[in-house]
Amino acid sequence: MSARTRLSGAALAALVVLAAVVPAARAQKTQWSDAVYVPGRWQGGRLVPARTANQATDTLALVMRVDYFAKPPRWRAEIRRTADGQNFADPQVVLGNGADVQVVTALGATPLARHALGGDSLVRAALVVDANGRPQGAANGRIVDRAADGSVQRVVFRRTQRSAAFDDAMLDPRNSSAGRNFLSSRIAAVGDQRSTAVVATAGARGVDRVQTPRGEVPVTPDSLAILRMERFVVGALTLEEFLRQGRLGPYATRPEARR
Amino acid sequence: MTGRTGWRAGAALLLGAAFLAGFAQPAEAQGLRDRLRRVVRGAAQVAQTMLPISADKEVEIGRGIAATVAGRYPIVWDQALTTYVSLVGLAVAGEAPRPDIIYRFGVLETPDVNAFAAPGGYVFITRGALGIMESEAELAGVLAHEIGHVNRRHVIEGIRKADFMREVRDQAGLSGSTLDRAVGAGSNVLFSGYSREDEAEADSLGVLYAASAGYDATGLPTFVSHLNSRAGQGPLTEIFATHERPQGRLERLNRIIQRESLTGGVQLPERFAQNVRGRTAPAAQPQAKPAQPPARPPLPAQPPQPAPQVKKPGT
Repeated sequence: MSARTRLSGAALAALVVLAAVVPAARAQKTQWSDAVYVPGRWQGGRLVPARTANQATDTLALVMRVDYFAKPPRWRAEIRRTADGQNFADPQVVLGNGADVQVVTALGATPLARHALGGDSLVRAALVVDANGRPQGAANGRIVDRAADGSVQRVVFRRTQRSAAFDDAMLDPRNSSAGRNFLSSRIAAVGDQRSTAVVATAGARGVDRVQTPRGEVPVTPDSLAILRMERFVVGALTLEEFLRQGRLGPYATRPEARR
Repeated sequence: MTGRTGWRAGAALLLGAAFLAGFAQPAEAQGLRDRLRRVVRGAAQVAQTMLPISADKEVEIGRGIAATVAGRYPIVWDQALTTYVSLVGLAVAGEAPRPDIIYRFGVLETPDVNAFAAPGGYVFITRGALGIMESEAELAGVLAHEIGHVNRRHVIEGIRKADFMREVRDQAGLSGSTLDRAVGAGSNVLFSGYSREDEAEADSLGVLYAASAGYDATGLPTFVSHLNSRAGQGPLTEIFATHERPQGRLERLNRIIQRESLTGGVQLPERFAQNVRGRTAPAAQPQAKPAQPPARPPLPAQPPQPAPQVKKPGT
């Protein structure tokens, strides 16, 4: 093989590698979640605030979860607040494009500054993003915001997904579906969320015979049991508390990141 | 190469062959035409079996398979136990990159030691399996293994390659009796076992998902070592028939844990005991003979574990 042939081969290989890498870099998406706590406790469905310099999680109450989806310069935040410490409300969708930030409602998009969300200090703090649409602070772990006197204002437990998979259309306010389909609903809770496409299915099948290591056995499918299984709800807040108590997910012991 | 490019290349080859056949001598042409016809027929069959199964169809098939699982083993309706298993499952499912899947978890009423995952996110574990576990990390490892099967669409890929799928030309064709056949084929895969490669892949993903969620990655190998020490017992008949022998699995799992440096993580045996003990049937007992050595690999010293919380979830 001549030197020229080898060179051509190398150039071709480099082109193939570039062709594979460049689109991947251009299409880089990220996805992460913040569990936002404030000092205090939920008691009887009411938040009893506390003033503390102690950032330990047992003095904190979960008040909000924010799921972020970004493909620079566009980003999307789905904000779920809890008013009783028991359930999250439906998400509110905020879209950014590097220049404007808009709240998406059923009627259309409204600039954040003119929407009630814009007056919410916790939401404003959650929506401080950089040029790439990423919120301030570490990619993973605990982020503590303190007041000038050292008291804890809020503690964020952040978790970045290893890989992001969402439709670009969800980042575009001109797309009518951008605010209506909640991406976070699939990752924040489970149960009673069947899509309409899933409802109609084999329900009236008779006795089947299935192959097992013990030979063929007759089985009567129990579709009603699966319907019941699908309606079984584990709330997002319950999951969050479970993770926190077990020091799992975003609550796993990691170095603290300060702003 | 993308599927579309590959299809174009294949079509160009077929056209080229047809072109050549047209110019061949008559005597040879007959044989060539026959061969070409066979090639075209084979290519068409391959193209048909390559029909992708959409996410919605995956869930639809999965519901049918899950119903078959629930028909063979009744689902336990113990809210506290189901909530606990679901929470552990959701903790690890959060690490699995399938946003199109909603995971649901159920406990099956049988002393058999096993776990199943139907496409679309229906994950089951038996009371018998819970009965031989000692920590939440083990449960997380087993559920993560099942989630690995779902994420990699192992059952769906098995169905897609089935002969009857050659007749299915689009998603709409995957309905009625064809859907029932898909459910039947998938149920057979579930109960009679995945390929060795699929099991190995699910094992790899299992330890990765569990460790990524914050659990001790040795949970799954520890569970496998429990199987090893109970070999030959009735409730383990099927899991032994459908999975690689524990010793081989243990070695492979430990290699993955070492290669990926999956250290640290929580085991949470107290929380597991509080939520599962007393809610499961008597466990299959270890053999009288000395059990195999513990599955823990020779990892570097781990940092001190945080004290596990034992508060009951959902309260």
